[in-house]
Amino acid sequence: MRYDLIVIGMGLSGLMSAKTAVDAGAKVLVVGKGTGGLCLFTSGIDVMGALPAGAAMGEALPRWIERHPDHPYAKMGWEGVREALEAFAELFPPPYGFAPEGEGNCLLPTGAGTTRPTYLVPATMRSACRLEKERTLLVGFQGFRDFYAEYAAAGLKCRGENLAIPEIAGRNNSATSLARLLEDLPFREQVAAEIVRRLRGETHVGFPALLGFRNPMEILKDLEDRTGTAIFEIPILPPSVPGMRIFRRFRQHLIARGATFLLGSPVSRILRNGPSCTAVEILHPPVTQVYEADRFVLATGRFMGGGLCADEETMREPLLGLPLSASLPREHWFERSFLEGREHAIHGVGVVTDGDLRPLDGAGRPYAANLWIAGTLLAHQRWIDEKSREGIEIATGYRAARKALAS
Amino acid sequence: MNREESKIVNPDVCIRCATCMGICPVARVTASFPGPKQAGPGAERFRKPGDPSVDEWIHLCIGCRLCDTVCSSCVNVSEMNLLAKAKYRDEHGMPLRDWMFAHNSFVEKLAGRVPRLSNAVLRNPLVRRLLDRLLKIDLRRPLPVYEATTFRQWFRTHTGRGGKPIGYFYGCYANTHERDVAIAAVQVLEAAGYEVVIPRQECCGLPALGQGDVGEARRMAERNVPWLLAAVRSGLEIVFTSTSCGHMLKYEYSRFLEIPDADEVARHLHELFDYLRDLQGKGQFDVRFRSRPLRAAYFAPCHLRSLQIGFPSLDILRRIPELQIEMVDADCCGMGGLYGFKKEKAPIADAIGADLTKAVERLNVEMVLTECEGCRMQIQRLTGLRTLHPIQIVRDALEPGAGN
Amino acid sequence: MLRLDARYFAGSPFVHLKTEVIIIGGGSTGTGIARDLALREIPSILLEKGDFTSGASGRNHGLLHSGARYVVSDREAARECITENRILKAIAPHCIEATGGFFVSLPEDSLYWRDQFIRSCMDVGIEAEPLQRDDVLQRDPAINPDLVAAVRVPDGAVDPFLLVIENARDAERNGAKCLTHVEVTELLAAGGRIRGVMARDTITGEPHDIEAPFVVNATGAWADHILKLAGLHLGLILSKGSMLITNRRLCRHVINRCRPPGDGDIIVPNETVSILGTTSVTIDDIGRIEVTPPEVSRLIEAASHLIPAVKTTRFIRAYAGVRPLFQFADAADGRAVSREFVLVDHGARDGLSGLITITGGKLITYRLMAEKVCDLLCGKMGVRVDCKTAVTPLPGAERPFDLSGRLKEFGDVPLQGRGETLCDCELIGRGEIEGILRQGRLRNLQDILHRTRLAKGTCQGAFCVYRLLGVLQEQGLTGGGEPHEILKGFLEERWKGVRPILGGLSLREEELIESIYRGLFNL
Repeated sequence: MRYDLIVIGMGLSGLMSAKTAVDAGAKVLVVGKGTGGLCLFTSGIDVMGALPAGAAMGEALPRWIERHPDHPYAKMGWEGVREALEAFAELFPPPYGFAPEGEGNCLLPTGAGTTRPTYLVPATMRSACRLEKERTLLVGFQGFRDFYAEYAAAGLKCRGENLAIPEIAGRNNSATSLARLLEDLPFREQVAAEIVRRLRGETHVGFPALLGFRNPMEILKDLEDRTGTAIFEIPILPPSVPGMRIFRRFRQHLIARGATFLLGSPVSRILRNGPSCTAVEILHPPVTQVYEADRFVLATGRFMGGGLCADEETMREPLLGLPLSASLPREHWFERSFLEGREHAIHGVGVVTDGDLRPLDGAGRPYAANLWIAGTLLAHQRWIDEKSREGIEIATGYRAARKALAS
Repeated sequence: MNREESKIVNPDVCIRCATCMGICPVARVTASFPGPKQAGPGAERFRKPGDPSVDEWIHLCIGCRLCDTVCSSCVNVSEMNLLAKAKYRDEHGMPLRDWMFAHNSFVEKLAGRVPRLSNAVLRNPLVRRLLDRLLKIDLRRPLPVYEATTFRQWFRTHTGRGGKPIGYFYGCYANTHERDVAIAAVQVLEAAGYEVVIPRQECCGLPALGQGDVGEARRMAERNVPWLLAAVRSGLEIVFTSTSCGHMLKYEYSRFLEIPDADEVARHLHELFDYLRDLQGKGQFDVRFRSRPLRAAYFAPCHLRSLQIGFPSLDILRRIPELQIEMVDADCCGMGGLYGFKKEKAPIADAIGADLTKAVERLNVEMVLTECEGCRMQIQRLTGLRTLHPIQIVRDALEPGAGN
Repeated sequence: MLRLDARYFAGSPFVHLKTEVIIIGGGSTGTGIARDLALREIPSILLEKGDFTSGASGRNHGLLHSGARYVVSDREAARECITENRILKAIAPHCIEATGGFFVSLPEDSLYWRDQFIRSCMDVGIEAEPLQRDDVLQRDPAINPDLVAAVRVPDGAVDPFLLVIENARDAERNGAKCLTHVEVTELLAAGGRIRGVMARDTITGEPHDIEAPFVVNATGAWADHILKLAGLHLGLILSKGSMLITNRRLCRHVINRCRPPGDGDIIVPNETVSILGTTSVTIDDIGRIEVTPPEVSRLIEAASHLIPAVKTTRFIRAYAGVRPLFQFADAADGRAVSREFVLVDHGARDGLSGLITITGGKLITYRLMAEKVCDLLCGKMGVRVDCKTAVTPLPGAERPFDLSGRLKEFGDVPLQGRGETLCDCELIGRGEIEGILRQGRLRNLQDILHRTRLAKGTCQGAFCVYRLLGVLQEQGLTGGGEPHEILKGFLEERWKGVRPILGGLSLREEELIESIYRGLFNL
């Protein structure tokens, strides 16, 4: 069978490319070794957290893009980014949707008691946007080790308490087990009663982001009704239940639209014939499966996703050996301080593309006529400091698929 | 990653990211199982060669392999767990029940000879209570019913319509308990213009492997591989309908058991729908379907996911007019083959199954389709809905006299 | 900064104390002296400017030498080692894993040297069992199959943190006083006699004035820093040794190369990991020690001759310790200088009586060093009490060393007193941490981390220290200020150990951790 498009990578960028293509009626195969950072870190959609606080995205981002002409966003402009974000948001009809709160970024509390600027806020976090410290209680679960309410509360200068629920006491409770339990009414009743018992006049209650895999808004509303407070979710240590919700929604959509969904195998090779890529070889020892397509989107991420790899001295893109934007000696990969000062130089290195997201060879010509790059594998972005991970993934995933289908 | 690297069981590549903790169906319902990251690469750091096995909880791993599929680091958690289970079994011996499960095919063969007697005995409440009490085989779980005649007996009296020969591995379960699945596979293949050939075969050995009895699994594999190899070398491609047997034959034989020539066999083994989808892609699956006004749910079994072929039955089922297929939004049914029959694990199996039941109920369907016999047993019991192998629906939808 | 134990130092702002002996330095030697004196019923106060084991005692291989490594070059040192090896196995079995050690001969190694080695071991009384190649590989399959032969000796692994802390604990139980985070600022002397010290709490700044007729300088590589306060100088050579920690145990035995000692030729299995090293680089400034990427590459290269898997294994941390070497004669290379300890009576040497410096030596001989110091002190005091440390077991000695026990316990539900598992990599539960907190005397995060395996595994604390802070916060122990400042401080400290080994596989984990802390948590 021949596909119109093969997407390599099942992180947010790959899923976004696949979605864009199936929605356009294309026959798509999406293959991924693992689910990328999506199920680990994603909660809201960060687009450009580094913009000045309060700045309207539609005004500040275009200006920022002007100053960063090599950035992936510059290849589509704010309009292109917005179009992609809208296409993403389409997948999540109310009540659990993603939307900006106001014009610009919103500072959302995190499990470490810090805040992070996010652009598209999931509905379950909306009540956290204007956090009134003295009217907020954070709650965790006694014995749940990925969120300590008092610790987060100390950072956020509000009150925190851990709920004692006999049903789960004395065990190691995983994030997924709690998320599953919260889908159950009897458990939720106990939780709500515990919250009410601990309220000291607070009107807002922050909850680790565990409000179920599906219909989190139903759970949230139920807890709100039972406690008489506004409830919001707080992102915690991996894995990320909100990220899993996004993954599951994409998976459902793609399979329903007839995409071939291959989760679990690494692409071992991309086959080429002259100027074009022709097929991917998927390794599942002892069998190697070959899938042919007319177009390819490479969205394999960085080191974690396998999009980049390194030995002790050099970095490379392992599938095609695509040229990277810089070749740094190892002593320059990382700064002396982990957190302070400049971002580590290694994160700026990636694959260089033309305006259409086609990778360039050493001479600056497109590496192949039918290959596009999406996601954090792209050069000239610094998603960690920019706080732009999901924005880049969504915008370039969308753009790569659109450019591919238009060719 | 090259072939050799991917074969190595290497806990060092685990980056502790917890993606697997997000997918593990067992860790989601019980705190007794620490989850893949801990049970696999985590525990490996505490296992010193020569030390006796202490990790009894390793047997709670249901063997679904979902952790392997979501891991970006290519950690073979399930292989580590299988090795740990096998080591534990070697040292601690095997309960009689697990020994019987490991030698399931033998029991099946005997019982299948006298189906009526077997059914009567196994349905007897007193027998079930004894099995529950003495062997810890969960009382509430219906045991599969033996068919009056086996698939093999049916096939012996069946005459094909000629055509291109194709091999078929039907699996023990279909043979003695659900022969219509195997019959449907034969009928669909015949409609597509094939002459079905049954290569010599016996139990794939998965029940033994699941109990950590690697020796017994190996013995079965060592018998099956030469038989299948002979078929393959005679020019046959071989299809299978049981995704569990298929995964065992195609992957465990080569990767885990390292049976000589298993690689060659694997290259010619195909999940039936994967094969049909390929034919369809080449325009060679030339059958006509009549309309089946029906709303059905489709559940993708774990072993199908591990085959890494996507969900090929959907590509065929979607051709059937008026058949509405909804994907069940669940990762595992909880049955885990024989896992769910074990009394001490039945609550875990049921808790996992409860999530699937809810997902099915939301879809408001008349029946559930899934390739795996274990899933069918579990879904049937928990939802009360009719459960079929998708090939049965495809067969039912064939226009009479369709195909060549 | 954590305010972990405010009660401990509550009281008068100016602490005035009086004792018989002041011990400066809370490493193995200092705590060993405190315990020895306490068992002889001589009062003492130990002052440590950081926490116990913050110096070389906490930054070594964790190798329980049999003495074989020095047997050819220095029989006397070897004899001391094997004697102490046997004593420690008897008095502190819970700090020791008697793995046994192999001295491995590769084809390029001199068999003449090996013969000499075996003969010397016999002379000194170190059990040395020559083994054939196949026998070696069967007992430890990780060893380079090119080996020619090996010699088995009674080397082992020791947990230096536990050893030192148990010494301090037993010393206090028997009447000594140990003050950590107290730095000596002045040596008080009058008329050619030491009178005591002035010291300062490094966290609160609180001054201490302690009187005593005897002061023992047991500060190891910092000995000259202390002596400088009295205008004295020993001229120690400081030699940096760098080590790498692997994610898992690579081997079952301590592995040495059967040839004259060199860089990177020891691999020690220790708890869940292996430690390999070391280098020997002479340094000038003890305040600035770091492991450089070229050193890492050199260590990997050297160790891979002993265990080829070193080339492909995952490293989780690099660290360096400083050995103080006493220069009897001029020698440029650190390794050639004697490793034997030196005991200096500054009364005899410099005319400042009551001041004694003990330095040099090895972890394995800490008890012997302490014994010699205490014998000297007793002589000066004119008392005759015998040393008891060789025959008195350390508390907790009945607890055996056990990895699989932790694994087994981990599967038990309910957790009972163990509490939730904070550290997945090392299987450390909340219960253990609460136990440590109850022991008191914790002034900062590192103090806690010195007392547990938490944060010593694969992720080097990237998940569990966040959780640990959660527990501390619940107990009201994080003090004022921004709680994530402590987390940031830990991450920076962690980075020092992780940065040198970043390359290859470890970049994947780096991205994960950075995504959590710089990304998700926006620290």
